[in-house]
Amino acid sequence: MAERVFSSTYLSYGLLRYEPDHGLMFDISPDHAIGLYAGLIALPIALIVMRLMPARRAVPGTVRAAAILMAMAGAVHLGLVSTHLEEPITAALFVGNGIAYLVLATMFTWRWWRLASSVLIIATLLGYLAFIALGLDTPDQVAVATKLLELTALGLVLVPVRDELRSRDRAWYWAALATGLPLLTIFSGATIWGVDLSTADARHVHVGAVLQATNDVVTPEQEAAAAQLYAETKAAITPYEDWHAAWKAGYRPGGPDNLPSTHWMNDAYAKAGYVMDPRHPQGLVYANTRRGPVLLGAMFQMQHIGQFGPDPGGPLTAWHQHENICVTPLGLEFSLMTPFAICPIGAIDVSVAPMLHVWIVDNPTGPFAVDIDPRAVAAVRARA
Amino acid sequence: MSDGARPEAAFVLLLMQSTFWFAAGVSAFPFVLAGEPWMVGLGLASCVLAGLGSLLAAGLICRSRRARRWTLVLEWVCLGGSALLLLLPIGANRGPVSLMVNIALPLALVALLRGKKMRAAFSSHGASPTASAGG
Repeated sequence: MAERVFSSTYLSYGLLRYEPDHGLMFDISPDHAIGLYAGLIALPIALIVMRLMPARRAVPGTVRAAAILMAMAGAVHLGLVSTHLEEPITAALFVGNGIAYLVLATMFTWRWWRLASSVLIIATLLGYLAFIALGLDTPDQVAVATKLLELTALGLVLVPVRDELRSRDRAWYWAALATGLPLLTIFSGATIWGVDLSTADARHVHVGAVLQATNDVVTPEQEAAAAQLYAETKAAITPYEDWHAAWKAGYRPGGPDNLPSTHWMNDAYAKAGYVMDPRHPQGLVYANTRRGPVLLGAMFQMQHIGQFGPDPGGPLTAWHQHENICVTPLGLEFSLMTPFAICPIGAIDVSVAPMLHVWIVDNPTGPFAVDIDPRAVAAVRARA
Repeated sequence: MSDGARPEAAFVLLLMQSTFWFAAGVSAFPFVLAGEPWMVGLGLASCVLAGLGSLLAAGLICRSRRARRWTLVLEWVCLGGSALLLLLPIGANRGPVSLMVNIALPLALVALLRGKKMRAAFSSHGASPTASAGG
């Protein structure tokens, strides 16, 4: 079986390689999708039911909003029961939790409603975090969205309102709320992120990159096809060892030359829609050396996100797509989107159409590796 | 939602949003160690914005006109920026969490704080939260 090893032209990829998986928490797990639909359907129903309840006039709007969010969370949990019947304990927990949420959502005039709701929400939240920390489930978009609903509901349950009969409007209470809610949110996000980072998935080879699904073991035919692709590509891009020729052909550097290497892109080839054509690779990768750019390899890229290209070499030539990375124009640096789907200020969340590299220099991680080994780049730069 | 509780609901949402910005700021710092110096600035800017968001949230509780105005400006900017990113073909995440945090949350804040009644509620500087107990 061919082993996939990856490295990168970017410095920070060294850090990213420690993450074997990235993407699950940004996906919707098929068995969780029904929970999302149930939650969305519950919203208008909860609004109508709330409107029909005369008791709603006796409570502040924050309480009503919290009750609606709790009804949605309850519907999500009940919706998940049908796809978890093979896990009786999980299914029972979903049933109990869903019913508790729905019951409390209708009992908002009860004297102990705030306390009961807070306890239920916090217990549900911590229970879920323990559940995923123990490896009993993996976080996905439905789970994160539900946790955000619950955290918002918790805030609305606890926040004091001016015209309440029993006021909790005290300085210590505000301080506890203003620190406790963010801390619980950060703790939840960190746990979800930590679990996501430590969950292995064959298709998520390193952070921010998703590999094309292929067979595991290379066949002799695939090996031959990969060798042919390599030979044809190497022959076709040899003229671009002189970067002036690349410039003349329309390739332009896509970043600063103070990095170890730079991708040069050809917009015309990208727009023309060539598919893995060795004579028209959409990108070239150059090492930045004292003597100028030195060709490291070529990069084929598809036109559309999610559209993986042909894969003649099976696992040897699997395409990869970068997803949910936060890119900043400042020095072309990037980081990762948080579980809350937010990038640092000044960076934007992007995904990049699938690509396949062909490295024509000796790359320890292979001629079609997602990235080139920094040692290979360093060796090229040292020789120049 | 009753007009009296709208600033408190807005406080909760703005506090949550500030927490998300803080998390994004902190998440940038490991990349500085990995050789991306500009991420320091972005991380710090995000943390500063989170701090400002928290101050605005506190201002809403105090019924500060300035806090309401700046919150509305901030949320419109967030909404416009997020909508632009979602509409551009750059592969921005369009999952439920992204839509909740980047679209629904700012939209809810704008809906909570805009309107004549809210302008009137914030027309005179309120006292501190504790001084308004039972008021």
